[in-house]
Amino acid sequence: MPLLQLISRRLLQLIGVLAGISLVTFLLVHMAPGDPARLLAGERASAETIAAIRSQYGLDLPLWRQFLTYLANLASGDIGLSLRFQRPVSQLIKQFMWPTLFLTGYVLCLAIPPTVVLAILGARRPGGIADQTVRLLGIAGLTIPVFWLGIMMSRFFGVSLGWFPVSGYGTGFTGHLHHLFLPALSTAIWLVPVLTQSLRAALIEKTTADFVTAARAQGATERQIFWQTMLPNAALPTLNLLGVMVAFMIGGAVIVETVYAVPGLGTLMVNALLGRDYYVVQGLTLIFAVSTVLITLMVDLLTAFIDPRVRF
Amino acid sequence: MNSLSGFRPRGAGAVLHGAALVAMGLCWTVPAFADDVIRVVSPYQTTTLDPMRSAAAGNIETYGQLYSRLLRRNSETGALEPGLAEKWEISPEGKSYTFHLRDAQFSDGSPITAADVAFSLNRIRSDKRSAYPAPLGAVESVTAADAKTVLITLKSAFAPFLGNAEIWNMGIISKADVEKRGEEAAFATVPVTSGPYEVKQWKPNEKLVLQPNPHYWRKGYPKSDATVELIEITSPETRIAMLKAGEVDVVRAVPWAQIDELKAAESVDMRLEPSTTIYMTLLNHKREPFSNLKARQAASMAIDNKAIAAAITRGYAEPANTTLPGSVDFHDKDYPGIPHEPAKAKELLAESGMAGRDVKILATADAPAQQTALLIQAQWQAIGLKPVIVNVDGAAWWDATGKGDYDAAANWWYNETPDPDLAVRWAVCGSCGSNSYNTFYANARVDALVEQGTKEADQGKRAEIYKKIQKITTEEVAQIPLYYAPNAVAYSKRLQGLKLTPSLQWTLEETSIGQ
Repeated sequence: MPLLQLISRRLLQLIGVLAGISLVTFLLVHMAPGDPARLLAGERASAETIAAIRSQYGLDLPLWRQFLTYLANLASGDIGLSLRFQRPVSQLIKQFMWPTLFLTGYVLCLAIPPTVVLAILGARRPGGIADQTVRLLGIAGLTIPVFWLGIMMSRFFGVSLGWFPVSGYGTGFTGHLHHLFLPALSTAIWLVPVLTQSLRAALIEKTTADFVTAARAQGATERQIFWQTMLPNAALPTLNLLGVMVAFMIGGAVIVETVYAVPGLGTLMVNALLGRDYYVVQGLTLIFAVSTVLITLMVDLLTAFIDPRVRF
Repeated sequence: MNSLSGFRPRGAGAVLHGAALVAMGLCWTVPAFADDVIRVVSPYQTTTLDPMRSAAAGNIETYGQLYSRLLRRNSETGALEPGLAEKWEISPEGKSYTFHLRDAQFSDGSPITAADVAFSLNRIRSDKRSAYPAPLGAVESVTAADAKTVLITLKSAFAPFLGNAEIWNMGIISKADVEKRGEEAAFATVPVTSGPYEVKQWKPNEKLVLQPNPHYWRKGYPKSDATVELIEITSPETRIAMLKAGEVDVVRAVPWAQIDELKAAESVDMRLEPSTTIYMTLLNHKREPFSNLKARQAASMAIDNKAIAAAITRGYAEPANTTLPGSVDFHDKDYPGIPHEPAKAKELLAESGMAGRDVKILATADAPAQQTALLIQAQWQAIGLKPVIVNVDGAAWWDATGKGDYDAAANWWYNETPDPDLAVRWAVCGSCGSNSYNTFYANARVDALVEQGTKEADQGKRAEIYKKIQKITTEEVAQIPLYYAPNAVAYSKRLQGLKLTPSLQWTLEETSIGQ
C-alpha cells in the first residue's frame, strides 16, 4: 500500500478515535461527583452563589446540550475555556506542553544507549554472568516504584549533595537539562529494563534466523551481520514498545512531574481532575489521544522503512 | 558461533561513557537564588484574581497582597488600624459608619475614590456570583457621599462590623478599570490593584509572580523591592525538599511529621504560628444514627481527642474543648469539653438504640484526614458502631457533605477574623445559610443567640452569649471538636518580618531580606 494511502487512512481513523474519546471523557468527567463551581468559589460560598456560577458557565444545562455545545466548539477548533482560570485550554496546554516534551526527549536520550548496551551484553551469552547481572538489575529497576526513587534521588542528589535542583523546569536549554536530569533519570531507570528485556529477547531470537545464516554464508563479517542485519531486525518489536512508552510518558508523566514539581501536562492533568476543570481534562485527553495515534503511526512508518516486508 | 559473542560493543560503550560525562558535567552546584525574589510554596492554588469570586484558601492569601481594605490589622498586635480609610465615625446608635479615605492610588496611578469603595463593597454584597457576602450581611447600603467619604448604613447595630470590613474579600478594586475592560478581562491577567503588590506574571496552575506596587499608599512599603513568587506544589515531600535544597524561602502547610526535622535544620526557621483553625468531625444530623442526640453524645464521648491530637500532630496542636476555634475572641477556655468515657459512651449508644449501626466516614487523601478517619473508626468500633471509611477526593467530599450523603467526615475550618460571629454563623447556625457547615444541625435558641451576639455592644455580655452558644452546641454535639492546630510554616532565615497571620494573610509588605 502506498505511503500516502496509509497516512490518510490513519488520519481518518484518528477522527473516529477522537470522537469516541471525547464522548467517553465528557460523560466520565461530568458524571464524577464534585462541582467545579464549588471548588472555584470555595467552601463558604452559598447555594445561590454556586447556582449563579453554574448558570454563568452553562453547567446547569442538560448534559446533552452541554455536549453538543462542546462538539460544535470543537468542530470550529475551539477546545474550550478553563473553568478555573478563565483562559483558553489551548493556551494552558501550550504553556505546560514544553516541559513534558523536553522531559520525554530527555528520557529517551538517557534510556536508549544503556538499553542497547545492556541488551547486547545480555544477549551475547544468554544465561552467562553478564546476562544474569543485566536481568537482576532489570528486575531491580522495574520493581523500585518511580515515586519512591524520585523522592530518594531528590533527597540525595538535590538536598544532601546539592548537585541538582529538586523542582521546576529552569530557563534556557542547559537550565532545562539541569533541572530535568533527576526526573528524566528516575523515569529512565524504570524504562531501561522494559526495553532491554524486549531487545535482548529479539537479539537472541535473531542469532539463529535464516537471513543471518545466509549473510554469514555470503561471507559477511560478524560486525556487518550484527549492525546491518541483526540489530535493525531485532529493534522492530522494541521500537513498537518504545512508541507505546513515549505516548504513555506524554500522557502519564504524572508521578515524576508531581515529585519534581515539573510544570508539565501531568501536573496540569492532576490539578484539572481534582478541580473538576472539565474542559481542561477533555482537552488534555484529546491531546493524549492525538499524540498516541501519531506516535504509533510514526513507529509503523519507521518499521515499514526498516523492514520492507512489513506493509499494511 | 554466536554472532553476538564476537561482537564488542565498542560504539555503545562510548555512548555510555559520553552520557556519564554529560551527567557529571551537569552536576554543578545549584547557585543560591537571586536575592531579589521571595519564593513561597503552598499546596493551595490561586485560581482567580477577582477578590469577590473565591473564598478558597490559596486565593485568600493572594487577595491580601493585591488589594487594600478600608481597615488593616496590625501584624504585631492584631489590632484594627486605619487602612484606605484614614479615620471613621460611628453614629451613636451604631447603625451608620462614615469612612474618610486617605489620598491613595491604584497600581495604575489613578486615585482611589469613594466610588471605588462603594462599587467594590456593593459587588461583594449583591453580585450573585459573590463567593462570600456573609461579612456584609448586616449592611443596608454603601454610598459615596463625596470623592473621599464613604457612608455605610447597617440594618441594625452590628458589633463585628469594623472587623468584617478588614477581612480578605473586602479588597478595593478599580471601578473604572472593571467597567472599561469588563469583569472577566479586568482580572484575567494583570488586574489594577490597591494593595502592596501588583501582578507581574500569572502562570495558572504553576505560580503567581508579584512585584511591589509603586503607588501603594503605605509609604516605604513593601520594605523590600523583591518580587514575590507564590508557587503551587501539591506534594508535601516536594515542598520540603525544595526548602532544604534552598530553592524556596517559605513553605506553607508543613506536615506534622516533618516539623522536628525542619526544627533541627540550621537554615530554616520552623514556626508554629497562631491560627483560628479547628480540626473537627462533622456529623450528619439529618439521618440516623447521628440525628439521635444520645448517639451523637456517645460518638463524642468515645473519642479521645487528646490522644488524637498527640498522635496526629505529634503534640503540636491543643485538644479542642468547644465547637469554636481556640483563638477566636470569647472562646471559653474553662469549659471542660466532652470527657473521654468509652464505658459511658457504650451505655449511651445502647440507650439510643443505634448500636450496631453502619457509619459512613468520608475521608480525603491527605494524611491528617486519613489518620483521623482511622482513629475515629477504631474508637467508634469499640463502643459498638460499625464505621466504614469511604475515600474520596476533595470535589467528591464537598459534593457528598453538601447533599448530606454521609454520616461523619473529618475536616477543618478557620475563622478569618478574631470576632466569633462569622465562625458561629458558619459552623453552628442552622438559619445562616451554611446548614451549620453541612451538618444540618439546627437549634432555634442557638440561632437567636447568634443574632443577639452581633447586636450587643457590651463586651462582657457578648462573652456570655458566645459562652452559651459554645455550651449548647458542644453538649448537643453539633460537631465533634478534635484539636486547635497552629499554622506550621517553615521560613528561610534570610527573611525578616514575614509571617502568616491567623487570618491567613502573609505580611510580605513588612518583610526584608537579610544577608
